[in-house]
Amino acid sequence: MPARCSGSCPGRLLLLLLLCLCFSLPGGSPADLAVTPQDANQTHENSLTRMPTGLKSSPEPMTTTQTVNRQTWGGSISDHLTVGPDASTLGLDLTTQEFKQDTKSNTSHSSYEKYEVVLPDDSGPAVVKNITLDRAVRIELTCKLDGKYSSLKVIQVTWKKGNETIGHINKTENSWSIQLTISDNSKLGSYNCTVKGEKEFSVVFHLQVPKIDVKDKPVITYEGDIAVLVCKSLNSTPISWTWYMTNGSEQIAINDSLLLDKYVIDKVFPNVTQLKILKLTSKDDGVYWCEAAFELGKSKGKMKLKVLSLMVPLKPFLAIVAEVVVLVAVIFLFEIYSKRREKCAEIEKEFDQTEQLKSEESNGVENSSTRHRKV
Amino acid sequence: MSPPLPSDLGYIPPDGGWGWAVVFGASISVGFAYTFPKAFTIYFKELQAVYSISYSQIAWITSIMCATTYGGGPISSILVNRYGSRPVVIFGGLLCGIGMVSAAFCTSILQLYICVGFITGFGLALNLQPSVIIIGKYFLKRRPIANGLAMAGSPVMLCTLAPLNQFLFDNFGWRGSFLILGAILLNCCVAGALFRPIGAPKIQSNEEVKEVLKEEVTKDAMEMNSSTNIPVETKPEEEEAKDCCEKINKYLDFSLFKHRGFLIYLIGNVLMFLGFFAPIVFLAPYAKHIGIDEYSAAFLLSVLAIVDMVARPATGIIANSKWVRPRIQYFFSFSIAFNGACHLLCPLASGYKGLVIYSVFFGLAFGMVCAMLFETLMDLVGATRFTSAVGLVTIAECCTILLGPPIGGTLIDTFGDYKYMFIKCGAVMVLAGTFLFIMNYYNYRMLAKEKRKAKEEDPKSVRTESEGRNNLNKDTVQDGPELEPLREEQERLKKEVNGTNEV
Repeated sequence: MPARCSGSCPGRLLLLLLLCLCFSLPGGSPADLAVTPQDANQTHENSLTRMPTGLKSSPEPMTTTQTVNRQTWGGSISDHLTVGPDASTLGLDLTTQEFKQDTKSNTSHSSYEKYEVVLPDDSGPAVVKNITLDRAVRIELTCKLDGKYSSLKVIQVTWKKGNETIGHINKTENSWSIQLTISDNSKLGSYNCTVKGEKEFSVVFHLQVPKIDVKDKPVITYEGDIAVLVCKSLNSTPISWTWYMTNGSEQIAINDSLLLDKYVIDKVFPNVTQLKILKLTSKDDGVYWCEAAFELGKSKGKMKLKVLSLMVPLKPFLAIVAEVVVLVAVIFLFEIYSKRREKCAEIEKEFDQTEQLKSEESNGVENSSTRHRKV
Repeated sequence: MSPPLPSDLGYIPPDGGWGWAVVFGASISVGFAYTFPKAFTIYFKELQAVYSISYSQIAWITSIMCATTYGGGPISSILVNRYGSRPVVIFGGLLCGIGMVSAAFCTSILQLYICVGFITGFGLALNLQPSVIIIGKYFLKRRPIANGLAMAGSPVMLCTLAPLNQFLFDNFGWRGSFLILGAILLNCCVAGALFRPIGAPKIQSNEEVKEVLKEEVTKDAMEMNSSTNIPVETKPEEEEAKDCCEKINKYLDFSLFKHRGFLIYLIGNVLMFLGFFAPIVFLAPYAKHIGIDEYSAAFLLSVLAIVDMVARPATGIIANSKWVRPRIQYFFSFSIAFNGACHLLCPLASGYKGLVIYSVFFGLAFGMVCAMLFETLMDLVGATRFTSAVGLVTIAECCTILLGPPIGGTLIDTFGDYKYMFIKCGAVMVLAGTFLFIMNYYNYRMLAKEKRKAKEEDPKSVRTESEGRNNLNKDTVQDGPELEPLREEQERLKKEVNGTNEV
């Protein structure tokens, strides 16, 4: 099923199924086999997190389960899952944690999202998939090989985050998947699935915090006016918003209590924040940042504010008014000119007509006399 | 044979020459009047944020503007009847400019309602009606073409105003844009300057020339003038017969409500406007609803505007042809029904291609109806009474124009489906078209009957009736296809002049 995840997906559950066509390495299968029983072994009440460690190309069955640390997570990112660096060791690094989502539901382990991407037909550029996560979830990333390539011999499948290889790849017939628990900022990043065989396919998953939607054009206001800067977070509600203004190269947080009559921060909707700057001066011109804090990290949006003086639009205004006045004057002058010409022409015509009538009269008298004569 | 034309103006319109400059000015005025409310909507988001108000509150601005533009029709008509088109349009342009410039300094939404809604809306009303009226004064034989070209100003202005507004907003913010828009609206004064007054005084001057001639030739020149000089003759008559009603009728002709053609037009159009504007308002949202992306949805409206731009002058040319002009009311009814049929078929359009085809046909039908909107009214009531007729018609249409989109919106919200809105609009327009078709068939027959009756009587009395026709004696003889009194009058004058020579 082709993955169709975008920012419009429900914030919590981003379904991403990666079906990787894993080339079943000789060592891969035992590792796969090793992964599943460990699943079964790890049973905890609330949730189970398992961080599959990266498997090196040399297959070694990782069957040991270790409980490294056990933390209760009360709505803030405080735990750290060890992954990555430990994965370089050929040991299964399992971390179990208890999750408590900051929503009311306590069934965090049920918020399980799957993301799947079908590998591209040809070994062209890597397919990129962006996933937006605003809170901690467990996800499964799968890369899948298209059915028509099932005959291809798969030599090796690697899952990597950065330079670190991830072990514990779940393999099904044509797909290879990893399961991740994203609980803090360090877990976000790019996860790479590479399938090597006769051809090499690659898929990259970018796990990110939600982006902030801001107007990319500068906001234009005038001195003495009120400026309203709006930041919107699409589909996800951040925990808090912070506004910064740039002073030189520093970013100063706009504290509401600082200048109460100058800055007003409104929360119109849960995912929309508004900064109102009153009594604008040219010093307020510059770059402003709105920062949204999510469970998994922070996201910033940049806004540019321009403060103009009233002289700026006044110039085009006066130019257009001048053009109107000139055109109206030209039209009226042309009308007076053409009327005068018409009058002259009429007087001439009248003169001609009187002349004509006079001549006709005299002619008519002659004609009638000739008629008389003829008769 | 040239179609018989109603010519009760008291003079022969030039049908060209300076008339084309007037058409150009009229297209500018009409364009601003119709498109300014539509193009204004891009400021809504920013204004909503600045004043912290909801969308429905900000949408009141354009509603007030439209209501004032249409509702100010009668006032516009009265002013034109009294002062002529030119001063009214120039004043209207100034009012628009003042309205927008003061809106640039507004600090509350109420002030915006007044400045943008009332003042600018009223200024646009003072632009719209006189522009349409003066076309009837300058054109007779080519009036449909002139009307089509003048109404074509609306889509052209829409295509220029919308991107211009966006450009102004990006560079100057909303306050600066309002200031500059105020200056742009002052260009309506330029259009108004083009509206050179034309009318009966021209015959006065001709008559004066002839007076001079006859004085030179004969001594009973004064008698001739008193019988041929229409305005001089009717003025004493007017003074004698003037009473309260007629005084009012001089400013706003309420006797039009006894005019059969006018009533048919009024009822048909009021019905039509219930379903006229709603599909345009909801086309883009409907496209987005069935899954088309925002830019393609906006492109549909562009297609509509471009087809509209071409359709209006083309309809004017077709309506001017000798086959269509005598039966222009049928053509108008057909175009309304065609418009309705488009809407009825729209729900069957599936996917983007279907909607593009619908947009093309809708643009064509919309252009056809708009081009003939005022031409048919002129055809029914004649150019002199058109001044009052257009004011009365616009204020009656005002209610249904404003009701149309909200009713459509309610239908969409209730049923959750756009097709009921299209069906309602299509049904209403097909009904209006059919009504107009049948009633105009009846009207044409009655007019032909009256004409035959009038011709059976003394031909001279018919001539004097048509000569002495002004705003007062309209009840007995209806306008419509009839004689060409001016040409006959000129021939008669010639004969008289020649006759005096023979004496």
